[in-house]
Amino acid sequence: MIGTLRSMWACHWSARRIQRYLDADRGLPLTADEVRRLEQHLAVCERCSAVADEHRVLRLIAGRWASRTVPDQDAVQRMHLVLDRIVAEDRP
Amino acid sequence: MGTTALVAQVAHWVQDGPLADRESRAHAFRLHVEPEIEVLLRVARTLTRSGPDAEDLVQETLVRAYRAIDRFDGRHPRAWLLTILRNTNANMHRRRRPGLVDDWVVMDDQRPAFGVAPAAAEDEALWGRLEADLQRAVQQLDPRFQQVLLLIDVDQLTYAEAARALGVPVGTVMSRLHRARERVRRALSDPPTKGGAS
Repeated sequence: MIGTLRSMWACHWSARRIQRYLDADRGLPLTADEVRRLEQHLAVCERCSAVADEHRVLRLIAGRWASRTVPDQDAVQRMHLVLDRIVAEDRP
Repeated sequence: MGTTALVAQVAHWVQDGPLADRESRAHAFRLHVEPEIEVLLRVARTLTRSGPDAEDLVQETLVRAYRAIDRFDGRHPRAWLLTILRNTNANMHRRRRPGLVDDWVVMDDQRPAFGVAPAAAEDEALWGRLEADLQRAVQQLDPRFQQVLLLIDVDQLTYAEAARALGVPVGTVMSRLHRARERVRRALSDPPTKGGAS
């Protein structure tokens, strides 16, 4: 019983941190201790490990989507021209 | 104003005043804003769901940023620009219809401004199917969740930047992102016949 509760708590604790772990957002990093604890849990918990793997796959697909939808150079160039015009119009 | 005063005023402009200000303003603007143009275009498209509208939004954002550059302290230019972009979008929104979920299709358009497919790979078909499944699942999300997921996973903003772009706290971004990803993950795990992602 206690073992089950401990395991459930570990899954709950991990689930709340998997996102930050995978994102590695520089503004909200996990502490080294949290990373170690999470990785230990993922190594032994099949369910959480599977969830983390699925999120990794989603990130890969989203990354591919991101690379496909990058603004093309024509659009970027047009905005640079806008910027040039704004600066030029400020001159006397 | 007398001639002497006028000359003094012009001299002041050239040395310390508006003329000198123009140069430093132009320099600061280019320094801080130019590197962020691509990110602004990406985020603008996520917010407007339209390539042409995204360009209009970025153009207006650039104008407003230039007017405000004197008050910008030079720190976190992306966050500063995203705030201007969000406010500009809110103002422009009042003048046109809001973005609808049905507009989603433009994310996949080959419009002149955006979107060139990369070279085909051997597993292109599989990736293409996964990507289509992902897009379908994301399309079914509540727009608030959809925007956060796109800003973070597709536009690749940080939590803080997405929070700036949306005008919500970072905690809200993280919570929406978590829920969005969970829903998408579950939608992709379920057979398509079982229904939507939200």
